[in-house]
Amino acid sequence: MTHGRLSPFLRQRLLFLLAGNVALLAAIAVTVKQGGSFGEVLARCGPNVAPVVLAGLSLTGIICAGAIDLSIASIIVVAGTVFGILVHRQWPPLPCFAACALTAWGLSAWNGFLVRRLNVPAIIITLAGLALYRGVALILADVAIPNFGGSLDVPQEAYHAPGKQLAGWILLAALVGALVWEWFARTPRRWLALGSSEEACRLAGLDPRAILQSAFNVGGFFLGLAALVYVTQIQFIEPARMALGFELQVIGAVILGGTNIFGGEGSYAGTALGALFLYFTSQWMTYAGISPYFQEAITGAIIIAVIGLDCALHRRRKLLEELA
Amino acid sequence: MRRWLLPLLLLLEIALFTSISGQSFHSFGEALSYFRSYFSDLLCQSAPVLLLAFGMTLVLMTAGIDLSVGSMVALVACVISSFPAGPGFWWTAVPAGLGLAMLLGATNGVLIARLDVPPIIATLGTMIFYRGLCFVVMGDLEKSPFLDVPGYETLGQFVGAGVLVAVVFLLGGGWFDCSRWRRELLMLGGNRVAARYAGIPVDRRILEVYTLVGLLGFLAALCFTARNGSVSASTLTGLELQVIVAVVLGGTRVQGGAGSLSGTFFGVLIIAVMDEGLRGAARWGDTHLPFKLSHLEYVLLGALLVLGVWLNNRAGQPTGRPTR
Repeated sequence: MTHGRLSPFLRQRLLFLLAGNVALLAAIAVTVKQGGSFGEVLARCGPNVAPVVLAGLSLTGIICAGAIDLSIASIIVVAGTVFGILVHRQWPPLPCFAACALTAWGLSAWNGFLVRRLNVPAIIITLAGLALYRGVALILADVAIPNFGGSLDVPQEAYHAPGKQLAGWILLAALVGALVWEWFARTPRRWLALGSSEEACRLAGLDPRAILQSAFNVGGFFLGLAALVYVTQIQFIEPARMALGFELQVIGAVILGGTNIFGGEGSYAGTALGALFLYFTSQWMTYAGISPYFQEAITGAIIIAVIGLDCALHRRRKLLEELA
Repeated sequence: MRRWLLPLLLLLEIALFTSISGQSFHSFGEALSYFRSYFSDLLCQSAPVLLLAFGMTLVLMTAGIDLSVGSMVALVACVISSFPAGPGFWWTAVPAGLGLAMLLGATNGVLIARLDVPPIIATLGTMIFYRGLCFVVMGDLEKSPFLDVPGYETLGQFVGAGVLVAVVFLLGGGWFDCSRWRRELLMLGGNRVAARYAGIPVDRRILEVYTLVGLLGFLAALCFTARNGSVSASTLTGLELQVIVAVVLGGTRVQGGAGSLSGTFFGVLIIAVMDEGLRGAARWGDTHLPFKLSHLEYVLLGALLVLGVWLNNRAGQPTGRPTR
C-alpha cells in the first residue's frame, strides 16, 4: 500500500512508532530484572508477536479496501477446532496444519463473498461472524467428539512446530514477502483506490467487487498463517474461550500503525510496528511491576490517546474537506 | 423490515419454544397464568438490554455505533458494588454510579464529536479501556452488596424494572417521537454535511446522544445488579452484540437516518425469547440433537444480525415513521 512515496501522515506515524519502539526497548533493558535477560526478551518477541502481526497483515489490506473483518478471532477459533479435531483423530501433523490454514483462508474468503453478494456493510457481516463462527466451532466440536468437555488437548510436540520453533521464521518470511509485494504489485494499489473512492474506481474501469474479494482472499492467506501460529502455540484448544478479544488487539495494532479505518491509506510496515509497540508496552509494564489488572486499561488508554490525538490533528482539514 | 413482521415473529417464536419445552395447558386460566409469569420474567431479565437498546437505536440513527455499552455497564456495576451495603448505598453508590456512567458516555461523545474519532474505533478503544478499569476496580473478586441494600431488589423485579422500562419507552420514547431532537438526529445520521449546513449543532447532538447512552447504561446497571445480585470484572461480556442485533432486527438502519423505538422493543423481546427458549429446550436438545442447544444461540445471533440488516437494506425505506 506504499507504492511510491509514503504520505506525510504515514511517514510521520512510522517514525513515531519506530522511535516509540526503540524507547520502549530501552525502557525494558533498564527495567529487566535479575534472572531474565534482554536477549531473551528479544528472542521471545518473534513468536509472541507473530499471531497479532500476521492477523494484522490480513486486516490491513481489508481495511485499506474500505472494509473490515471483526470476525478474525472467531475464524481462528474455527480453524483451531478443526485442527484439534483432526489431532484427536490422530491425523499426521502436516494435513492438520494445512486444514487449519485452509479453514481460516476459506472463511475469510467466504466473508468477502457475503459482503459482495448481500451488499451488507462488512462491519455487520463480520460482527455477525464474530458470534456465528464461535458457535459453529462449538457445534463442530460437539458433533465430532463424543462427550466433548469444552477443551481439545494437543499434547504431542510435533503438532506445535509452527507456533513454537518456526513462528519467528514464518513471521519474517510473511512480513518480507508482504512488504515486497506491497511495494511492487498492482493489487494493493487497487485496494487503496477502492478504499479512497468506489465511484472513481468504477469510472476507471475497475470492478470494485472483485477488488474487495481479492482483499479478503489475500487477507485469508495471512489469517491462515496467523491461525496456524496461534493454534500451535497452545496446549489446550477451548472453542468457547480461546482468542477472546484477539480482534481488538489486532485492530488496535492496525490503527496504531496508521491505517485509515475508512480505507484508502495504510501500510504493512505500520501494522507490524504498531503490533510491536503494543507488545513492548505490555512487556515493559510487566517488567516494571505494573499489576496485570492495570495492563488492559493502560493498553486501551494508549489506543484511545494515539487515535484521539491523531484524529484531533486532522479534524480541521477533514471539516474543511467535508464542507468544500 | 416490515413492522408487522416483528410481533408475528415473536408470537411464532413463543409458540415454537413453548411446544418444544413440552409445556401443556389444561385450561385458559392456566395458560394465562403461565404467560403472565413468563412475560414478567422476560421483562425483568431483558430490562438492561431494553434500556441499552433504546440508547443504541438513537446512536445508530446518527450513523454511529457504541461497542462499549457492555463494558460501560459492567464498570458502573463494579464501581457501585465497591461501596458498603446498607441504607447509605442510595446516597453514595447510586449518585456516584450515575455520575460515572454519564462521564463514560460523555467520554465516548467527546472522542466522536470533538476529536472526530470514527465511532467504531472510539468505542472499540473505550470498550477495552472500560473493561480494563473493571479489572482494576475488582481484580478477581466477585462482590454482592446489593442484597443488603434496603429496597434495591425491587429494581430487579417486575415492579421496578417494568416501571423503568415503561418510563423510558413510553414517556421518553413518546416525547422523542414528537421531538425536534429526533428529526435532527435522523438528519445528521442521513447526511451529516447537510445537517451542518441546516444549522444543526452536530457535535452537540452527538455528545448528547452518547451521554444519554451513559445514563441508560446506569439504569441498566441498576436493573442488572438488582436481579443478578453479584458482579465481577468479566460481567456482561458480549452484551453489545445482543443489543446491536436487537436494534437492527427492530428495523434501525446501521447506516443511520432511520430507526424505530417500537421496532427495537420487539427486537429485544425476540432475542430474549430466543435466549430463554434455548435454555428451556436444553433437555429436548440433549436427546434430539448431536450438539448442545445453547451453542446454537451464537449462530442464531449472527444469522439474525445479517438477516435484519439485509431486510432493512432491501426495504430501502426507513422502517420507522417518515421524517417530519
